[in-house]
Amino acid sequence: MNLFDLIKKAYFYFNISNLQKMDSATYKPQILETFENVRNFSFEEKKEAVMDETKMNKFLDRIIDFKKSLKIKTDKIEEIIESSEKITWFNHLENDSLLIVNDLVSSIRNLHSSLHRQYISLQYIREKGIAKVEMKNFISAIDDLKEIANDLDSRFFFLPNNDEFDKITKELSQI
Amino acid sequence: MIILCLDEFKNEFEKLIRNNSYSSIEIDIIEYFFNKNIQELSSGIRLNNSDTIPFIKKRIKGRGGYRFYFLLIIKDEKLYLLFVHPKSGSLGFENIADELKTLLYKKVLECIKSDNLFAVTVNKEKLIFTKL
Repeated sequence: MNLFDLIKKAYFYFNISNLQKMDSATYKPQILETFENVRNFSFEEKKEAVMDETKMNKFLDRIIDFKKSLKIKTDKIEEIIESSEKITWFNHLENDSLLIVNDLVSSIRNLHSSLHRQYISLQYIREKGIAKVEMKNFISAIDDLKEIANDLDSRFFFLPNNDEFDKITKELSQI
Repeated sequence: MIILCLDEFKNEFEKLIRNNSYSSIEIDIIEYFFNKNIQELSSGIRLNNSDTIPFIKKRIKGRGGYRFYFLLIIKDEKLYLLFVHPKSGSLGFENIADELKTLLYKKVLECIKSDNLFAVTVNKEKLIFTKL
């Protein structure tokens, strides 16, 4: 190797070394910045995931509570219907009792109206398909409530005042 | 318990059973009315003022939410099916008018007097209607 080649080689190594120094100086902050971004983002997401689970659990708890409250209301309505059905088996009620039955019919109709309004207000939840079965049972019970009010009216106020109906009962009892 | 029915009941039943939405009606009838004693069948809304010949409207839950109208003659252990309608679906409706209840009540009296009834029995989980 002559002197010229030696100088050329030395120049080459000098440049490489400088390039390496420049690389560290220029890119390190960018790499660090990216690393910082990922680290922060990862940390936030880790926290967020935990928060999401908590939020989701709260949300699911609320749905379960909502389903339970619908079921409790539906069961109460069913109880009222069954008690009202039993009343229809009482014979020859006195005026005092008929007055109470009349009030009962009015109260059932008021209750029906309130519950029906509640059901209408739940349209958004129905559209989302939440508590589908409970909703179906709830509205079905609400409808039955209206029906039992009409049936009590028929049983105690309209049919007994129908002479033909009364006459048929007498004829049937003699068969 | 002898189970009989009016034309009206048979017609309504046949109309409903042809509709897929109400195909459960046959099983619902068999399960509710057959192999039961008088006490088990004495529930629902009693429409008349009689313990011995109760005219009953019964709500039966199920896909159609059926309403059955029937008469029990307790001393004879006979049950007369007068009418049925579903509460929901394309053939469903809310209730029947008092005029129709009276008409059915009158009809069953006439049919008992004239024996113009169908005996209803079960064979292989199917209802059989036999004209008396």
